[in-house]
Amino acid sequence: MIYDRIMVRYGELSTKGRNKMDFVKLLAVNIRKKLTENFSEVKLETRFDHIYVLVADYDPYLIIKELQEVSGINSLTLVSKIEKDIEQIKKCALEMVVNEEASTFKVRSKRSDKTFSIISDEINRIVAKEILSNTKLKVDVKKPELTIGIEVRQEGAYLFLETFKGAGGYPLGIAGKILMMMSGGIDSPVAAYLLMKRGVSLECIHFASPPYTSGGVIDKINDLLKLLAHYQESIRLHVVPFTKLQEAIYDHVDESYAITVMRRMMYRISTDIANIRKCQAIANGESIGQVASQTLRSMRVINEVTNMPVIRPLVTYDKNDIIRIAKQIKTYEISIRPYEDCCTIFRPQNPRTKPNYKSTLWLENQFDFEGLIVEAINSTESIIISANSEEL
Amino acid sequence: MIYLDNAATTQPRRELLDIFQKIEDEFFANVNSNHQAGRDAEKYVNKARKIVLDCLGVEQTHRVVFCSSATEANNLAIKGYALRHSKRGRHIIISNIEHPSVIECAKQLRDLFDFELTILSANHKGVIRPDDVRQALTKNTLLVSIMAVNNEIGSINSIKEIATIIHQHSRAVFHVDASQAIGKVTLPFDEIDMFSISGHKINGLKGSGALVMNKNIELIPLFSGGEQEYGFRSSTISPALAYTLALAIKESLQSEKKNTGSVAALNSLLRSHLSKSENIVLNSPEKGSNYILNVSVIDKKASVIVEALSNQGIMISSVSACHAKAASISYVVRAIGRSEDLARNTLRISFDHQTTIEEVQTFIQVFDEIMERIRS
Repeated sequence: MIYDRIMVRYGELSTKGRNKMDFVKLLAVNIRKKLTENFSEVKLETRFDHIYVLVADYDPYLIIKELQEVSGINSLTLVSKIEKDIEQIKKCALEMVVNEEASTFKVRSKRSDKTFSIISDEINRIVAKEILSNTKLKVDVKKPELTIGIEVRQEGAYLFLETFKGAGGYPLGIAGKILMMMSGGIDSPVAAYLLMKRGVSLECIHFASPPYTSGGVIDKINDLLKLLAHYQESIRLHVVPFTKLQEAIYDHVDESYAITVMRRMMYRISTDIANIRKCQAIANGESIGQVASQTLRSMRVINEVTNMPVIRPLVTYDKNDIIRIAKQIKTYEISIRPYEDCCTIFRPQNPRTKPNYKSTLWLENQFDFEGLIVEAINSTESIIISANSEEL
Repeated sequence: MIYLDNAATTQPRRELLDIFQKIEDEFFANVNSNHQAGRDAEKYVNKARKIVLDCLGVEQTHRVVFCSSATEANNLAIKGYALRHSKRGRHIIISNIEHPSVIECAKQLRDLFDFELTILSANHKGVIRPDDVRQALTKNTLLVSIMAVNNEIGSINSIKEIATIIHQHSRAVFHVDASQAIGKVTLPFDEIDMFSISGHKINGLKGSGALVMNKNIELIPLFSGGEQEYGFRSSTISPALAYTLALAIKESLQSEKKNTGSVAALNSLLRSHLSKSENIVLNSPEKGSNYILNVSVIDKKASVIVEALSNQGIMISSVSACHAKAASISYVVRAIGRSEDLARNTLRISFDHQTTIEEVQTFIQVFDEIMERIRS
């Protein structure tokens, strides 16, 4: 293999000034973690504006595939480091393009090491001539299909051809930990993904109401989190037994307010568990106006029970955009498996889209929900899910 | 676990699993191979064929095509016959309570191959009136397919009477999906031109099935290839599956009387209990198969009841696919005249000869508790 390293560029990190080295170190740790299992022999060289991953004997394309799931990486370039010798440079450049299916190219050289005797224009010409006389490729300086990059530095010459897009965002963990409310639908996995991209570590909370919800939902969430665990080493899932609370709501609260009160109970429990688990915020997949409980008025009445920040990554997203991302991260196919979650059962004929705050409080006071909340929290079970964990 | 979903599938008999393993261990050769090991393996297929025909009493008139399931057998019978004899006639008759593998198959022939299709309606007891069959028959009728026992509600058709009518009044052949009938209700096998059998419904193995058909009948194969099974079903046959299927058929027919008696007691216990409840409508007709009891629940979601029972270790079926939005409605329960709401909330409890009275009593107790407890 002609490529011996991958250049990892940071993207948004470059804007972070003084903290930059902290970010880079964390990113290096995350890269190391991601590659430990299958690529234990790789070495990292951390520089101020990029990290080199030395690929050893591995297939660099497989490593790139893994690294595309690491947040905080803007782009990935396959690089070949060789001696600063024009013959070597010619040979390597030719080798890089010889099997490419393209018809045009250009060479772009940069000479950082001014002690190197050939100036960059000259390098361009020499390398182009070599390629022209040994392949069918033609030069096109305006819209080339291939661009051969050459950088001559103090320690050697770097040649590169292909650049791959990274996941972007910030290194995971830089932004702290959030408790994500996970229903198993289409939205919450997408919201989780967007948060992880932003460098947030996640724990997830799910409200289970057997027999009103199927045991299949837990399997489904397990499968969703397995996919998301590609971006974060492992994810802790808290399964809250919610049946008793839900039955109490059903028995005591007017049907039109059932969802509002149910969401308030979920927020209360999430807040407590977030505090216990040292999470800095709660997140969910809500989007303005998508369903009755997600109108602004509903959000306000529901949000009132917590003083934690509630992060809603999808708040302005259209359903189509959410579905597009869900398909891209492959959670869509799992999300549409038909199981009822807490929100689809007890679906009232006419849920309040503009719940009244005082009525909500009055209805809640019709039963002892605090005891039921404590009971639910105490009976919550936690499981840890990683990308390759066994079936439940 | 209390397993009351035997119409979906039954537990395979231990003895058959042992035999399956023994044959796969010792006689794994391809039965089409011209060596001793191949011939030894083939003996099991030949034995299987003989057992099936003997115990069904059709050794003189019929032959057996081993296949993977009753779904395949239904497809092979209907498409295979219709496409083979499309010049002889282009009219097919089925009923509206057939298994999807019959209904969809016939609709495909209608929609893609321009066959004419008559779908007879069952009466409110889930039974096809023989007279309706008589009236639907035309000179052009090629094939009639009517199931023996309905898989959802257990209603039983008068197969003997229908067979007589078809043969007296037409040149059509009569196909019967007998999946839920073998060893459960008595059928005039020799009067049926083609019938489908499924292994896993009679304590045999999944992946085994057969189409038993009159020797005079020719079909177009669904799978082309090595022309196995009289050229009707290409594919390397599994002697182990064929042989265990034969033994399953034999056993179920031999113990038909004994089993039917004990299962009848279970059915009547449960039926009389459920019929007392105001929240339940019985869908299974009184004179149906003892093995299946289908009811609809009023003001409750069937999927929730199934889940609640499952959480307590009791397995039954519901037609509703646990989805609030996707309306999955039992077309069979609709066909017998129930409302859409009732058809959406059906429960099917289905027995096996191994089901005990204690299990049914436990079911009743847990079921009543759940009906009391759940809100939906």
